[in-house]
Amino acid sequence: MPSTPQLSPQEEQEKLLEEGISIVKNQSFQMKRCLDKGKLMDGLKHASTMLGELRTSLLSPKSYYELYMAISDELRHLELYLCDEFQKGRKVADLYELVQYAGNIVPRLYLLITVGVVYIKSNELSRKDILKDLVEMCRGVQHPLRGLFLRNYLLTCTKNVLPDTEEELATNDYEYGTVMDSIDFILLNFSEMNKLWVRMQHQGHTRDRNKREQERRELRILVGTNLVRLSQLECIDMEKYKKVVLPAVLEQVVSCRDPIAQEYLMECIIQVFPDDFHLQTLNPFLKACAELHESVNVKNIIIALVDRLAQFAQNEEGSGIPPEIQLFDIFSDQISQVIQNRPDMPPEDIVALQVALINLALKCYPDKVDFVDKVLETTEDIFNRLNLDHLEYGSPVSKELMRLMKIPVDSYNNILTVLELSHFGPIFDYFDYQSRKLMCSYLINNVLENDTRIPTQDQVDNILNIVNVLVQDQSDQPAEPDDPEDFAEEQVLMGRFIHLLQAEDPNQQYLILNTARKHFGGGGDKRIKFTLPPIVFAAYRLAMRYKEAKEEDENWEKKCQKIFQFCHQTVGALIKADMAEMPLRLFLQGALTAGEIEFENHETVAYEFMSQAFSLYEDEISDSKAQLAAITLIIGTLEQMSCFGDENHEPLRTQCALAASKLLKKPDQCRGVCTCSHLFWSGRSASQEGELQDSKRVSDCLKKGVKIANQCMDSSVQVQLFVELLNHYIYYYEKGNDQVTIQVLNQLIAKIKETLPNLEANEETEQINKHFQNTVEHLKLRRDGSETEGPSYEELVL
Amino acid sequence: MSFFGFGPSADIEIVLDGQDSRKTAEIKTEDGKKEKHLLYYDGETVAGKVNVTMKKAGSKMEHQGIKIEFIGQIELYYDRGNHHEFTSLVKELARPGEITGNTSYGFEFQQVEKPYESYTGANVRLRYFLRVTIVKRLSDSVKEQDIIVHTLSQYPEMNSSIKMEVGIEDCLHIEFEYNKSKYHLKDVIVGKIYFLLVRIKIRYMELAIVRRETTGAGPNTYNENETIAKYEIMDGAPVRGESIPIRLFLSGYELTPTMRDINKKFSVRYYLNLVLVDE
Repeated sequence: MPSTPQLSPQEEQEKLLEEGISIVKNQSFQMKRCLDKGKLMDGLKHASTMLGELRTSLLSPKSYYELYMAISDELRHLELYLCDEFQKGRKVADLYELVQYAGNIVPRLYLLITVGVVYIKSNELSRKDILKDLVEMCRGVQHPLRGLFLRNYLLTCTKNVLPDTEEELATNDYEYGTVMDSIDFILLNFSEMNKLWVRMQHQGHTRDRNKREQERRELRILVGTNLVRLSQLECIDMEKYKKVVLPAVLEQVVSCRDPIAQEYLMECIIQVFPDDFHLQTLNPFLKACAELHESVNVKNIIIALVDRLAQFAQNEEGSGIPPEIQLFDIFSDQISQVIQNRPDMPPEDIVALQVALINLALKCYPDKVDFVDKVLETTEDIFNRLNLDHLEYGSPVSKELMRLMKIPVDSYNNILTVLELSHFGPIFDYFDYQSRKLMCSYLINNVLENDTRIPTQDQVDNILNIVNVLVQDQSDQPAEPDDPEDFAEEQVLMGRFIHLLQAEDPNQQYLILNTARKHFGGGGDKRIKFTLPPIVFAAYRLAMRYKEAKEEDENWEKKCQKIFQFCHQTVGALIKADMAEMPLRLFLQGALTAGEIEFENHETVAYEFMSQAFSLYEDEISDSKAQLAAITLIIGTLEQMSCFGDENHEPLRTQCALAASKLLKKPDQCRGVCTCSHLFWSGRSASQEGELQDSKRVSDCLKKGVKIANQCMDSSVQVQLFVELLNHYIYYYEKGNDQVTIQVLNQLIAKIKETLPNLEANEETEQINKHFQNTVEHLKLRRDGSETEGPSYEELVL
Repeated sequence: MSFFGFGPSADIEIVLDGQDSRKTAEIKTEDGKKEKHLLYYDGETVAGKVNVTMKKAGSKMEHQGIKIEFIGQIELYYDRGNHHEFTSLVKELARPGEITGNTSYGFEFQQVEKPYESYTGANVRLRYFLRVTIVKRLSDSVKEQDIIVHTLSQYPEMNSSIKMEVGIEDCLHIEFEYNKSKYHLKDVIVGKIYFLLVRIKIRYMELAIVRRETTGAGPNTYNENETIAKYEIMDGAPVRGESIPIRLFLSGYELTPTMRDINKKFSVRYYLNLVLVDE
């Protein structure tokens, strides 16, 4: 016996559908033939046989849909034929009764609807009565799938014939009906369809539940079409929507107790009806939301509504939200009602609702900061009530809360406005360490991106309290330290932030810096190296401001004094944290600043700062390279300053020379003393006008340099030093130092020329050679140039 | 009979008055075919002409008299030999004599009582007919002509609705309502079924019209049930609280008036049968 191959469910469906379609084709062909010959009754019989295919229980919703589409196409042909006949005056008496003899209900009702619409279109009988009869008779099909499609057919066929007038049309023989009849018609059809749709959920085996729910979702558009149709009736005004349409729809949605239906239909209402209707019916709609099944995602529904209204408020120019509608209050109250009704609502959903609310507040009432603050307060209360804190980073609720907190930050783009939200800061406490850090970085970044200046001490205090996690160690931070790169990045952020702490008034600025100092001072050794230097620089800048405006403030000198004390102490904190080079630089910068400001006592302050720099140099800096760099800096600083009298300048410059000559390595010594030579030339003292120009001491320094260079063992380094020395000599020669003669230059050049060729050929040699060539080139230009000024190069031997 | 050459033969034709204008009605014959006849009501005069046409022009025919009868009778199929005549009227058309050429006789049964309605059922038939007999020596020439009688009735004074609650305990509980208890032949049955309790899976529900024909009496009573109409009124399984509309047009079905104990021979009654089919 040949075995029949087992068909997969899908193949089975395809086969069944194919069979159905072929019968439909065949019958519709016969129907059309009969109609062409004027044999109406036979045509109807074929139509009925064709419609019999829709009685099947074997097809999936998808296949059934295809069959239905094929058949409704054919029925349109029948409808057109009948309309034509009616128009030609060939009325078929009792056709409406005639089609009701069909023994099976499904074909009967499809025919009845088709004929009913023909009657309506040709103004036979009362339109109102026919509609009412059709929608009532459809109750006979209680099978969900078949019923849904039948009623969809009803809805489709009547699409363009529903009465849409306020008043009964007087001219008609029969009652035409008004928009109220259309409303009743659609509402009844809607609730019946919804009941059928919901019923699908409860039929069949529990193990097929997922499949069933999937199928239901595929069919939802059929139910939703009723609402679309309602929204297309032009005579439904606000009053009718509010009093008739919406209450009935909501009644059905709430009472069906079916999550899938509720979720879909509520969204449907939002989407199909106009915004100004929604605005007038917020209370009933949101109240209904609170009554929905607990597994309905109310959040999405409310968010959809909020988004729509928020958009509406922004789009509509001029009108916007009518002032009499307290949009925010309504939403706020109703949302809290929803939350109260649902004790099992996950906290992330609660927060998501607050997100919606805050969006609404910002979009509809951009000026009302207190609305936003109220949302934050509510959120805080909820977390308190739920006993939630240390929300774990990455958890849904933490993500939602972050989203919530970022909204005011992003939309104001001004931290100062955000600070007006009294409940903004406290919410940070509910995050865990990492989330808090991320949020704080986000906040600070926003300040930086928008270049927001923070002008008062209170605001600074406020912000630094909020972003405390970036300022100081936390009790809940993990044992292992943060990734050093991340840490540095985040502290750099804070450093940049400090530069934005800027008050108009210098006194306020001083307070700000003190506050910042207090906060950042507690940041620990690792943080202060990022945060205190900017404070010190800001303080120096402030001192300069006092100087610039000294006419306006008679106490400016004392204030400057205080600022330098503040800086001294702040730098001291850095020294305590085992830093040397940074404090050294800060001291030098301080000395420079103090020297420039010339307040009472400034020389003492500058001297103190210089001496502090020296002691750091002596006590803390041991690495030879660092030493050279440090002494170069010190020398450079001193060279720039002119505030010291001789009694102070003398020890300082001598100290520099001494320090330079005491460097460990010979080349360092050489370079040190050469640099130091400039102190004796272009350095300034308060005791005399102009530069020191002490030719003798300069020459001594250089000679010492030559001596040291001669002691170098490495010939390459030696030549390099000679070239450098040559440059120093040329400089002084050109400046007119009488101790520097052309002979000295010639000697050095000869010495270099002699040694240079013996060097090993390598990159370094190349560089030295180049340096020398450039120098020679310079001299040649000088010698051969037409310039008459400056010393003569005649005797130069190249 | 004329094959055997027993004298000349003639065709008999009964022509009723107003044949062209009178209403006609259809009735089924025993074998299920439909016949169309003139329609009469109770008390109407049945009058007309009998035309006797000679088959051979110019021939003569002797006879023992010509008569016409008006007969109403009930035929029980299982008792073929016995026809129960409840009406039998006779009119003499001609005395014994001779017919020469075509002859026409007028007749009139004035205001005939026709108490019952013509009926063809499963086991019984009630019919009215006219019979012309030309009495001859050997075999009579007979011609019968059926007519159909419809009885008239008045609208009932009382025609209350039928309302009932039925059910299977803990399974199904329904309430149904038909708008009337008496319907005329072109009436519409309007009603509804209300589901009070549904714990079984119903596939569909239909309404059937059943005709019960009762013949005979006492121990020899025969009942014959016939489903005249089957009409699906619901598809699928309803839930509690659903109400399903019924609307059934009667004129499309072959119904007769309800007949009670017609001449003590038979009755015809109609029932509505509500059928619920579960899975």
